[in-house]
Amino acid sequence: MGTPSFLWNFMKSITGGLIALTISDRYASIVSVHGLSMHHTFNSSTNSVLRSLSDDYVLVEKFCLANYKFTGGDVIVFRSPNNHKEKHIKRIIAMPGEWIKVPHSHDMLKIPEGHCWVEGDNSASSLDSRSFGPVSLGLVQGKVTHIVWPPQRVGQVRRSIPEGRFSF
Amino acid sequence: MGNASFLWNAMTKSITDDYVLVEKFCLANYKFTDGDVIVFRSPNNHKEKHIKRIIAMPGDWIKVPHSYDMLKIPEGHCWVEGDNSASSLDSRSFGPVPLGLVQGRVTHIVWPPQRVGQVRRSIPEGRFSL
Repeated sequence: MGTPSFLWNFMKSITGGLIALTISDRYASIVSVHGLSMHHTFNSSTNSVLRSLSDDYVLVEKFCLANYKFTGGDVIVFRSPNNHKEKHIKRIIAMPGEWIKVPHSHDMLKIPEGHCWVEGDNSASSLDSRSFGPVSLGLVQGKVTHIVWPPQRVGQVRRSIPEGRFSF
Repeated sequence: MGNASFLWNAMTKSITDDYVLVEKFCLANYKFTDGDVIVFRSPNNHKEKHIKRIIAMPGDWIKVPHSYDMLKIPEGHCWVEGDNSASSLDSRSFGPVPLGLVQGRVTHIVWPPQRVGQVRRSIPEGRFSL
């Protein structure tokens, strides 16, 4: 009852760890959402004390990366174009080849091939494509499908285009 | 298995192409420098990967080829060029590449046997960066 069962337990936990790491890396993981750029969709508490204690946790699925099946309205996780060590969560507003109206400007912009235009749901407080331009689709790390915490906000994160931000 | 493991990756399209070893330990801390040969997803087509050499890192200034301009590499990006300038689609066409697109670093050639060896870090002549 000494070494053999210890070794067996050790191997089981290593295997369990590898499986968990593979799932988290390739299929789905759970991340917490910081900040207010997706207010009302995530982190919708208006009490500033409570908010810092209760960031929403969301489920990020990575099956979409196999065929890069994204569309306008999806909420995605991506590496920041200007800082590869940071990840952001924003909503896709426009896909490659589409034209959008640049906010606070009279310009129309065509989204270059291989890029997408992202914006936070809370336009007033969001650092997004309006600052750093279209985002390469290669930087996308996954799609947010569900909120998993806190319990009263558990549910699906729906695909939707904000009003007035149509693209064609 | 993401950033914490390495993957033996043979990249080839025909039996006459070289096979190279791509290591991904470098992704854990993003420890790249000029002269490294890297694998990255194309900024314009996320389904394609390219292999090029890093010529300049964020904050460096480089001289844009065939032009009198100097360009400062934006934060979080790098400038890549192929060793064979005449026949290479690289940053001279699609601009600086976000470092988040990098998938690994080429360290060795593993096939064919007569070309097995380390892939050395080097800056091509005349392409100094400040």
